[in-house]
Amino acid sequence: MSDRRLAWALLAPALAVLGGLTVYPALWVVWLSLQYRVPVFGISRWAGLEHYAFLIVDSRFWNAVSVTFAFTAASVALECAIGLAIAVGLRGQHRGRRTALALLLLAWALPSVVTAKMFEWLYHPAGGLVNFLLGGRPINWLGDPALALPALIVADVWRATPFVALLCYARLLTIPPDLYEAAEVDGAAGLQAFARITWPLVRPILLVALLFRTLDALRAFDIMFVLTGGGPAGTTESLTVYAYRALFQTLQIGFGSAIGVVVFALVMAVAIVYLWVIDRAERAA
Amino acid sequence: MKGLRWRDGLVLIALALYAGPFCWQALTSLRPDGELLPLTHLLPARLTLAHYHVVFGQSLMPRALVNSLGVALLSTLLAVSLGALAAYALARLPVPGGRLILLGMIAATAFPQIATVSPLYLLLRALGLRDTWLALILANGSFALPLVIWLLAGFIREIPRALEEAAAVDGAGRMAALRWVVLPLVAPGMASAALLAFLFSWNEFLFAYTFTATEASRTVPVALALFPGVFEVPWGDIAAASLLASLPPILIVIAFQRYLVRGLLAGALRE
Amino acid sequence: MARRPARPRLGFGLGWLTSGLLLLALLGGCGERVAPDAPVTLVFKHAKILGPADPVPGLLRRFEALHPGVRVRSEALTWSSDEQHQFYVINLEGGSPPFDVMMLDVIWVPEFARAGWILDLTPFVPPAERDAHFASAIEPAMQDGRLWALPWFMNVGLLYYRRDLLAKYGLAPPDTYAALVDQVRRIRAGEGDPRLDGYLWQGKQYEGGMVNVLEAFWANGTRLLDDGGRPFPEPDRARESLAFLRGLIESGVSPGWVTAADEELTRRPFGDGRAIFLRSWPYALDLFELPDSPVRGKVGVAALPRLPHGSVGAASTGGAHLAVSARTRHRTLAVDLVRFLTSETAQRAMTEGAALRPSRPALYHDATLVARDPSLVALLGLMEKGHPRPITPYYLMLSTTLQPEFSAVLVGRKSPAQAIRDATAQVDHLQRVIGR
Repeated sequence: MSDRRLAWALLAPALAVLGGLTVYPALWVVWLSLQYRVPVFGISRWAGLEHYAFLIVDSRFWNAVSVTFAFTAASVALECAIGLAIAVGLRGQHRGRRTALALLLLAWALPSVVTAKMFEWLYHPAGGLVNFLLGGRPINWLGDPALALPALIVADVWRATPFVALLCYARLLTIPPDLYEAAEVDGAAGLQAFARITWPLVRPILLVALLFRTLDALRAFDIMFVLTGGGPAGTTESLTVYAYRALFQTLQIGFGSAIGVVVFALVMAVAIVYLWVIDRAERAA
Repeated sequence: MKGLRWRDGLVLIALALYAGPFCWQALTSLRPDGELLPLTHLLPARLTLAHYHVVFGQSLMPRALVNSLGVALLSTLLAVSLGALAAYALARLPVPGGRLILLGMIAATAFPQIATVSPLYLLLRALGLRDTWLALILANGSFALPLVIWLLAGFIREIPRALEEAAAVDGAGRMAALRWVVLPLVAPGMASAALLAFLFSWNEFLFAYTFTATEASRTVPVALALFPGVFEVPWGDIAAASLLASLPPILIVIAFQRYLVRGLLAGALRE
Repeated sequence: MARRPARPRLGFGLGWLTSGLLLLALLGGCGERVAPDAPVTLVFKHAKILGPADPVPGLLRRFEALHPGVRVRSEALTWSSDEQHQFYVINLEGGSPPFDVMMLDVIWVPEFARAGWILDLTPFVPPAERDAHFASAIEPAMQDGRLWALPWFMNVGLLYYRRDLLAKYGLAPPDTYAALVDQVRRIRAGEGDPRLDGYLWQGKQYEGGMVNVLEAFWANGTRLLDDGGRPFPEPDRARESLAFLRGLIESGVSPGWVTAADEELTRRPFGDGRAIFLRSWPYALDLFELPDSPVRGKVGVAALPRLPHGSVGAASTGGAHLAVSARTRHRTLAVDLVRFLTSETAQRAMTEGAALRPSRPALYHDATLVARDPSLVALLGLMEKGHPRPITPYYLMLSTTLQPEFSAVLVGRKSPAQAIRDATAQVDHLQRVIGR
């Protein structure tokens, strides 16, 4: 068999699965977003851009947009900062390093529902550890509109920082220690060494981590849905949660798909940026 | 010398912050109901296995564990077997537009599940696959497939072509070379990809919540999220169920840490 | 050929994997296959009945005795109303549901009827039997002049109050909410107990929260939808109602946590004696009168007060109905089961055994029942005054769309006027989707 025929034979199954279950639905969802579609009542007719026109003036949509952006910006910034700090801290450390790494990896590997339930209990006004450690104050972390989003961000940062930390740590391992020794000889130590040696070398990987985390934060669903369900009063309702509720609570397949398409467009825009960065790195390699 | 102290402190804080929640959840799962609410003392007066009894005896968790295990294993099998073949084709064979397809794979790893969940829901409903293992195997497998292909293509590219050329000199065709030369060498990479695919499927919530209805196919994350309580939320039982749900990830991290990290890094780093 | 040290390991591992998978596939394939041990098995899906004793098993056995050769298998639903609804939708939408008779929240009946999931009971139920139930219970079960479900038990919103505290200050149960607020202030000033809450109600973002908001609308003489289905026919009154609810929290008459509270979260503090007024359903009364309850004998029940433009007792009715799946293979038997469980004898058994109130007005005059529970007489009047929630197949869509808007007002994130504007836009969009 010629190489070409073999190539297509090997690719065909994967492409078929992807075509049917990823590409086709991606196109179909756009089609659905242009319909009035409520299967339960047999409603199925053309809507054109009506859903999108409504979204433009829908205050709940814009609330979801701002929640999504606030959540993404805060989570990603904290994850990158804390992740880098942990990586730098672990790099020169021998005691407890293995345990720390294993624990970090475990936190990342847990199902997000487990993490959500864990934090829901930690945040419980009466039975939670957080309030206990704060002296027994009955702060309702997940019920107070001002506190719910920060509490959610903390939970997500806990869960996702290990990813950034591991990436940075792996890159830091490749930096030869003699570089630091040479810098010490020159009189630069501590922060200066960090700025001159560590930062330039770790910056590319941090950028990659930042892009990965941004994509994940924009798509975040599990932890938000289980921890707060979008409440209280929509203060933690991201676009994903709004779309899900529209789809499966009010059973509006058409309208929910429109919100889904917006998320899709947003994520793909960021993904294109990230593709460009990866492609550039691959060409340089 | 001074540097050591702040690093020690940092590690201690990291350990406390990351071990703390686990330990607390474990403690909660052993704390008797009466001492859960309100919290008056850090340590309970006595420990109890009652919550584990409830989880094993009365809840959906045992069945959900079987469902999750089956779905995760089978969807991993699907993703890795199809992915390995496709990755070899993209990495080694002349495919017109191969680079574009690979870029498409990378783009597909960024697909938001919320965008495809509604058409998939209609599709699975039309095929009568609601509340079945097959629905989740297809959904999870297809979602993990792009990542697997991308990872494995990278790993395969690292194998020197000389080895396959030597096999060709010996008279082996492409398929034989794939089977006897490439696969054994990329096996560790496949292990990493399989672990990531398994973890993704085990942890997956959105599709599982939407496509399952009863214990026939409910997976662990859904069972945990929908843990029943009559009057109030049974935090002790939920803590016990959470620990059970965490067992496979814990085992994977302990046993296969190296492969897992390798998979994680390969997706991000290009050596 | 190159050395292949990895192959034996790989093959070995694959062998284990395959056997493991086969084993799992077998395990997974084994579903719940219960062989019917009788010629006919009916499956009855219902929520767990709360209360001192569960009367349902006894009733089902009596039905089986009356119909030899028939077995009724009772299956419990999850506790949360939203999950029950989701379960039904997923199973009924997909084709053949594995149950024959189901317990439905009254608000779902028009939806299920429109979707074609439940059986038309009109040919089976004589008008006299239908009229034996409360009109406000039958009305939601009727669509296009046909009957789609029979009421099983009935609920109505009540004002619970601490008889002892009101008596201590020489007060009668308030007629208006202004009086209620005033009484709260007076009693709290007199008691001097900072932990004594004033008025507890359900303000969480869920169906129960919607009920509370609707009752506030009705108490002010307005409604959510007018007869033509248009939202907020009197927006000023609706605004007043919302502002009133928010005002309760801002002024401290109600504690801030009511915005996250459901029925149980409000029943407990009142049952522990830590509140003066509570808005809840009749089930709570039985729990307050339990032997070890701190408020035993101290709780009174009254009609909900009114706001300036409305009337007293504008409470929401609720409850559960029984319906037959349209795809059942045992139509006559299933309908018989429904008629049996909603019959006077069955409802009497349920009232005696559980914290449930019947949907038949006649039982509220029954001597034995009244002797056991004197509050039944007062409840009858309240049930008859109660309003059902908007009777439309799209009620749930409406409710889940509007809940966030009202919740935003209760927590102070939106002004009532803004919320009504946004809610109107949402309802307009919904109606475009539905096709009005």
